[in-house]
Amino acid sequence: MGTNLTIHEVRKRYAEVEALAGVSLVIHEGEFFTLLGPSGCGKTTLLRCIAGFLRPDDGRIQCGDERLDRLPAHKRDIGMVFQNYAIFPHLTVFENVAYGLRARRVEPAEIRQRALDALRLVQMEALAERRPDQLSGGQQQRVALARAMAIRPRLLLMDEPLSNLDAKLRVEMRTEIRRLQHELGITTVYVTHDQEEALAISERLAVMNAGRVEQVGFPWDVYQSPQSAFVAQFIGTSNALQGTLLDGGGEWAGVQIGDWTLRARRADGVAGSALAVFRPEALALVPEGQDCPGATVGEAMVVSREFLGAVLRYRLRLPGGALIHLDEHKPDAARLRPEGAHVRFAVRPEDVMLFPAEDHR
Amino acid sequence: MRNQRDIWTGVTWVAFALLAVLLILPLGRLLWASLLDKGGGLTLAHYRDFLGYPYYSRTIGHSFLVSSLVTLGALVVAVPVAFVLARVHIPGKPLLTTLAILPLVSPPFIGAYSWILLFGRAGYVTSLFQQLGVNVPTVYGMHGIVLALTLNLYPFVLLMVTGALRALDQSLEEAAQGLGSSPWRVFWTVTVPVTLPSILGGALLVFLTAFAEFGAPMIIGEGYQVLPTIVYSLFVNEMGGNPAMASTAATVLVLCTTGILLVQYWAVGRRRYAMSQMRPIPPVRLRPALQWAAAGAVYLVVGLSLIPAMVVVVTSFFESRGPVLYPNFSLGNYQEVLYNVPRAIGNSFVLSSLSTVLDVILGTLIAYLVVRRRSTTTAALDSCVMVPYAIPGTVIGVAFIVAFNKPPLVLTGTFLILLLAYFIRRLPYSVRAGSAILHQIDPAVEEASISLGVSPLKSFVKVTARLMMPGIVSGGILTWVQTITEISATIFLYFGAWSTITVVIYRQVSSSNFGSAAAASTLLLVAVFIPVLAVNWVMGERAVANV
Repeated sequence: MGTNLTIHEVRKRYAEVEALAGVSLVIHEGEFFTLLGPSGCGKTTLLRCIAGFLRPDDGRIQCGDERLDRLPAHKRDIGMVFQNYAIFPHLTVFENVAYGLRARRVEPAEIRQRALDALRLVQMEALAERRPDQLSGGQQQRVALARAMAIRPRLLLMDEPLSNLDAKLRVEMRTEIRRLQHELGITTVYVTHDQEEALAISERLAVMNAGRVEQVGFPWDVYQSPQSAFVAQFIGTSNALQGTLLDGGGEWAGVQIGDWTLRARRADGVAGSALAVFRPEALALVPEGQDCPGATVGEAMVVSREFLGAVLRYRLRLPGGALIHLDEHKPDAARLRPEGAHVRFAVRPEDVMLFPAEDHR
Repeated sequence: MRNQRDIWTGVTWVAFALLAVLLILPLGRLLWASLLDKGGGLTLAHYRDFLGYPYYSRTIGHSFLVSSLVTLGALVVAVPVAFVLARVHIPGKPLLTTLAILPLVSPPFIGAYSWILLFGRAGYVTSLFQQLGVNVPTVYGMHGIVLALTLNLYPFVLLMVTGALRALDQSLEEAAQGLGSSPWRVFWTVTVPVTLPSILGGALLVFLTAFAEFGAPMIIGEGYQVLPTIVYSLFVNEMGGNPAMASTAATVLVLCTTGILLVQYWAVGRRRYAMSQMRPIPPVRLRPALQWAAAGAVYLVVGLSLIPAMVVVVTSFFESRGPVLYPNFSLGNYQEVLYNVPRAIGNSFVLSSLSTVLDVILGTLIAYLVVRRRSTTTAALDSCVMVPYAIPGTVIGVAFIVAFNKPPLVLTGTFLILLLAYFIRRLPYSVRAGSAILHQIDPAVEEASISLGVSPLKSFVKVTARLMMPGIVSGGILTWVQTITEISATIFLYFGAWSTITVVIYRQVSSSNFGSAAAASTLLLVAVFIPVLAVNWVMGERAVANV
C-alpha cells in the first residue's frame, strides 16, 4: 500500500458556498473508489482539486509521500475522463490517444504501439483513423478512456462518464470500465450522482453531502448500515417516518408515530424526537388475522401501485396521513390489492433504523 | 500554475493599458478641448454656440432625421424580403442570400458616388432625360443620403430576421395551430412576436450605423450637413479649422451614439428567443403567380442594392476626362490610378492587414480571458473593450489628433496613428467574434489536454486556439474588409505619404475625376468582395452577421 491517495482536510469555498468543508479520505492503491452524492455536494469540486483544475483553499492531497496539490495540473500524471468526453474534435481517434504520449516525448514507434494497445483494450482499434464526429457517444467514451489510460497514469479520474449514454449502454459500459480497471490495476476515483451505478461499480465509496463526507465504506455496508439519515435516504428507496422515542432500556425501542408504535433497533445518540427509516423491501403484506411474532404490524390504505417487473411497489397511506412504499417481490396477480383497499403490513424491528430527527433533510 | 497566471495577468494589463492610451486618453482630451476657451480657462461657450446657432444645431436634427428615414426604409425593404427568403420557395435562393450581403461590405461612399454617376448633375440618367428635354431633380442632399444608406444597410435587418426565422422550430407554429389558431393568427400571434426582437435589433443597428456614417453624406449631401460631416467641416474649414468647436461637435456626436446604444441595450437586451432547433420550418410553395411576384420583389431589392457596384465597375472601363465620361472601353482609368497612387493602394493593404492581425491576436486573447477566466477584472475588461463600438470613426479621428499632436505622444502624420486608430475601432468586433466561437467549445477539451501533460499555455495554443480558428479567420477577414474601407477616421489622420485608397476615391470624387474614382472603387470592391464571398462560401452567411 505504498502509494495511497490521501486527501486531508481539504476545503474549498466559492463566494458564499462552502463547496468542500474539510474532506479527508484515503483511497488505496489499485482501488476503484466512488464519490457519490447529489448535485452540489462537492464531489466534482473534490475531483477537480485532485486533477489540479481547482486549488483547494486548505488541506493536503498526497499520492504516497508526494504533495499532489503543489504540482501544476499538467505535471500530476493523472488520467481524466470527462462527462462530455472532451475528445479533441480536430484530431483522429488515433491522434487523440497519442496526444498525451507525444507530450511526454515518447519514441514514435512506441507511441504507435501504446496508442494502438490502448485502443485495443477498449475495442476501438478498427476505428483508429476515424474523426470524432463520425463516432457515437459510446465510441467517444471509449476513446476518452483509451486516451486517459494510454499515458499509464498513476491515478484515473472519471467525472460522471456515463451520464450522457442511454440506459442500456450505461450498464454495459460500467461493466466494461470495471473490467478494464481491474485488468490494469489503476487507482480510480469515479464521480457519480447515480447511487445504483455507484453500488454496482465501486469497491468502496464515499457518500458526500453539502461539502462533507457522510460515510465511507463498501457498497453493501453503505446500503445495509447507513450511518446517517441522509445516507439512508439517498442510497436506495427509503421510508422515513418522524416520531417520538419511547422510554425504556434494552436493545429494542418503540417509536410513537401517531397512534401507532413501531419497534426498532435502538441507536446511539437518539432520544426524544426520532426518524425511523426502513426500506420498502423490509415491509411485507400480511393477510387479515395472521400473526407476525416479533414484527410490528401496521394498517394502511393502498394509494397507488407501480408494476416494475420483478417488483410490485405499493404506495400506502398510514392512518396519520404519511405515505410509505412497500415492495412485493415476485408479485402474484391473484394477490393484487386494489387501490383504496385496506391492508395490513409487517416490519421487523431489526430492519428499522433510527436517526436523530434534526438530521432529517 | 503560477506561470499561467502571470501570462494571463500580463494580457489583462496590456489590454487595459492599450484601452487607456487609445481610448480614455483621446476621449478625455477631446472633452477637455471642447471645454477650454482661448485663454485656457474652462467654459461651456462652445456648447452654447453649438446648440445656439442653427448652422450647427440643425445637424443634430438632420442626423436623427436621416437615420430614422434610413431605418424605416431598411425595415420596409428588408422585412418582407427576409420573410420571403426564409419561408417561401423561390428559385436561386442561395445566390440571393449571398448577393444580399455584398452591400453591407461595400463602403457607403462608393454607393453614394455611384448614385451621383447615375442621377448627379452630369449623371447618366440625368443627361438622358435632359436630351429628351426633361429636367429631373438631382440626387444631392438628404434624399440622396437616405437612398444610398438604405440600400447599403438593409442587409443588417435582413440577416437578423432570416436568422431568427430559421431558428424557429416547426413545433412552435404547430403547437399554436394545434391550440386552434388559424395560420394567419399563428403568424401574427407567434411568428411576428418571436421575430420582433430581431427586427428591432436590426433596426437599431441600422440607425446607429447610419448615424455614425461620414462618407456618404460627405459625398452626396452637399449642403445638407449631418453631425459627422459638421465635425469634419469645422476641423478643416478655410479659416484653418476650429479644433475647439470640432471637439464640441464630436462630443455631441459621441453622446448621441452612446445614447442610441443604451436604448439598444435596453430595448433588445436579452430578449432573444433561441430554440434548440430540431426542425426548421420548411419554405412553403405559393401559387405560381404569387410565387413569381414574391421572387420578383426579392430580386428587385437585391438587384437595386447591387446597382451601385455595377455602375462603378462599368464606369471604370469608360474613357474619362474629368466628370465627363465616354462610353468607349478603355483601361486609362486603371493606368492613371496605378500610376498616380500605387503607394495609397499599398498603404491600404498593409495598414488593414497589420491592424487586423493585431486585432485578431489581442481580440482572441481578450475573448479567452472574458469567457474562460471570469472575474470582476475580466468583466470590467469586457465592458471597456466594447466602448469603441459606440464611437464613430469621425470622433476617433478628431480625438486622436487632439490627443496625439503634442508631447508626450506625438503621432500625428505617422503611419502608427492610422494603425492604432484602425486597431482600436475594430477591437470590439474581434473580441466578439472570438467569444462567440469560444462559447461553443467545451472547456473540458482544454482541461483534457492539460491533464494529458501539456502545459496550460501550450494547451491553449494547440487545442483552444486551434478550435477557435474558423471563427478567428472569418472574423479576421471581416475586420480586414471593414478596415480597408475605412474613411471616417482616415480622413482626419492620413498625412501626405500615408494616404489610403479610400482617401484617393474621396479626393477624386471631390475633384470630379470620375474615371479614376471608379477604377479605384472597383479595385477596392474586388478586394472586399472576394474574401467575403470566400468566407461566406466556407462558413455560410451567418459569418457576416457580426459585421
